[in-house]
Amino acid sequence: MTDGTAPSSHDAIVIGGGVTGAGVARDLALRGLSVLLLEKGDWGGGTSGASTWMVHGGPRYLEFDWDTTVLSTEDAGNIVRIARHMVHRCVVLVPVMPEDGLGIERLETAMEVYDRYQPRKESRPHIRLTGEEARRVEPGLAPGVVAAVTLDEWGVDPHRLAWANVLDAVRSGAQAFNHCRVESLLRDGSAIAGVRYRAADGQRVEARARIVVNAAGPWAPQVAAMAGAEVRLRPAKGIHIVYDRRLSNFAISAEAVDGRDVILVPHGGVTFLGTTDDDHYGDLDALEVTPDEVDYLLQAAERVFPSIRAHRPVRATAGVRATLFDWRPRADRLSRRFEVIDHEREDRVPGLVTVAGGKLSLYRLMAERTADAVCARLRHRARCVTGSRPLPGASGVAPPVRELAAEHGISTLAATRILARHGSEAPEVLDDPRRGRLACRCEVVTEAELVHAARHEQVRTLADAFRRLGLAAGPCAGTSCVERAAEVIGHELGWSPSQVREAARDYVTGSWRGRAPVLDRWGWAQEELAYGARRGWPGGL
Amino acid sequence: MTGPRAARLRFAWAFVRHQLRRRFRTPPAATAEEVVTTYAQDHLRPLTPFERERLPAMSRCINCGLCALVVRRVGQVRLPDLASAYLRDLTLLPAAGADLKGGDPGPDALAAAAAICPVGVPLDEVAAAVRRLAAPEHAGVAGHAETAEPGG
Repeated sequence: MTDGTAPSSHDAIVIGGGVTGAGVARDLALRGLSVLLLEKGDWGGGTSGASTWMVHGGPRYLEFDWDTTVLSTEDAGNIVRIARHMVHRCVVLVPVMPEDGLGIERLETAMEVYDRYQPRKESRPHIRLTGEEARRVEPGLAPGVVAAVTLDEWGVDPHRLAWANVLDAVRSGAQAFNHCRVESLLRDGSAIAGVRYRAADGQRVEARARIVVNAAGPWAPQVAAMAGAEVRLRPAKGIHIVYDRRLSNFAISAEAVDGRDVILVPHGGVTFLGTTDDDHYGDLDALEVTPDEVDYLLQAAERVFPSIRAHRPVRATAGVRATLFDWRPRADRLSRRFEVIDHEREDRVPGLVTVAGGKLSLYRLMAERTADAVCARLRHRARCVTGSRPLPGASGVAPPVRELAAEHGISTLAATRILARHGSEAPEVLDDPRRGRLACRCEVVTEAELVHAARHEQVRTLADAFRRLGLAAGPCAGTSCVERAAEVIGHELGWSPSQVREAARDYVTGSWRGRAPVLDRWGWAQEELAYGARRGWPGGL
Repeated sequence: MTGPRAARLRFAWAFVRHQLRRRFRTPPAATAEEVVTTYAQDHLRPLTPFERERLPAMSRCINCGLCALVVRRVGQVRLPDLASAYLRDLTLLPAAGADLKGGDPGPDALAAAAAICPVGVPLDEVAAAVRRLAAPEHAGVAGHAETAEPGG
């Protein structure tokens, strides 16, 4: 793989390395086209990573957007099958309070309809419970809960899902570079003929292509504007509060003060509480979590899960949904449908195709339809195989946990974590003498994994390692691991000692922005410990 | 017919059918055991009421390492890791239970370790909860036939 600093020529260039852009690159590469994928930040680091991490059909859309629910369940099933090692079952308890607008009968109606589509994604039908039985499943539910239903969905880490798509694209012949920002589009007469981008090392590079795909999510209007074309979105900001562990093995749905649904949902070793859904007019690259947004979520959750304020949040996330423009509906009632826009037809700008709208659960289908449009323009006939071809790590047979642990001399917890991240490719990751040394004790990340990530997974910063491996995602928020992790990654990437220190400092200050809005007193105790540990750093924090 | 109006019509028809069905054939109420059995393979085990109440306190660990000065390990697990790594993704505990086998310091030693914890993590309770959730034979509804209190 090159480093993206040489001029190049391709059939297609894809702008945007969220899960959709990565999916488009994978699809096109598997159809035999030469592809360049460019991402200004890190893979899945924008809207994908700031989502609720759920692969679901969305039964709530049944009341106003039936088609999206049906399509989502269908494609969610494909994602479950091609990313088997990455997905985990996520069972939601949907409690009903006496004063809820959505009574148990209306709720169960939605579940009965949804049950028809559940087999498409290997999910089970709902179970209706009395309030008392629901509290036996989750003792933390409020005494006022009168009934509940279960809702069987799937969860996935979108950072790893995006990376797996990138990796499969690269293995199929694509080139893919993160930290490369497209600055302008190249023209050949009226047609778009490529991009000019700033590579990770600051060099300006030109890449030419027969067609450019704009898969930049909420940034899609900005990319389209470079071509004099228009993409109309109604961006909606969503935040999540992140807790340092599973607060429950069951997700819990709650109704917010304005009637919106929010959800407390466990993923791996953390729990998300979200999301808000507000029209966003500000800078897409400078999102902040406000105290009001945090209070809104806590108020909603505490109504059905009263102990929520006693639990310890470790950070908050903020992202912007790229919802298609529509006048009037409340932001959370906007359709999650998507569009593939051929700008030659819409704006008389040949050579540019945009994919906009949609949701995580539809990413593969969005990529397929976009690749169809690209192939039609390029008169390239090839069948889409992304719905059946397993992603890296999901093909082959993964070794049993205990066998992997015993063979490599690691704990079984470390082995389970590595298998969840790398699937059947876990033994290759552990083929390193540093496999027995833990870099991050909370997330159980071995130094061997960090080395592998720096060598083979395009990890260029500690924040990239956070996204790829969960480094520093646990209770200590990096107090114990960022310095050592910076040394390990820096050794692989040829950093000087001052660059190592700078990388650690960048991570600490960057992650602070996500933690500050949600710290409680135990979080502050952690901050004091971290501050004390870093007092000896040259130049302080 | 597609679109929001069609969605509302189809949903309204489903609601009528649901109401009629329940009027003439109300299915027996499901129990918590049915949920637990359905998802036993996914290791989605409920917490006990005691664990639920104490989880916020068990979650305060800031990984300072002081407790390891009193008790080094539970099984093969370094003591601070019990709260900061093991009591996190609870669905992995049945697979990771082998790590807990071996030396058991006992509740008194763990209580002594908890006594010096600067943020008051009840380490004896953490160890009991981790052991219960890791035990392969415990797949029932929590808080009834079993306990997760220290030494229980």
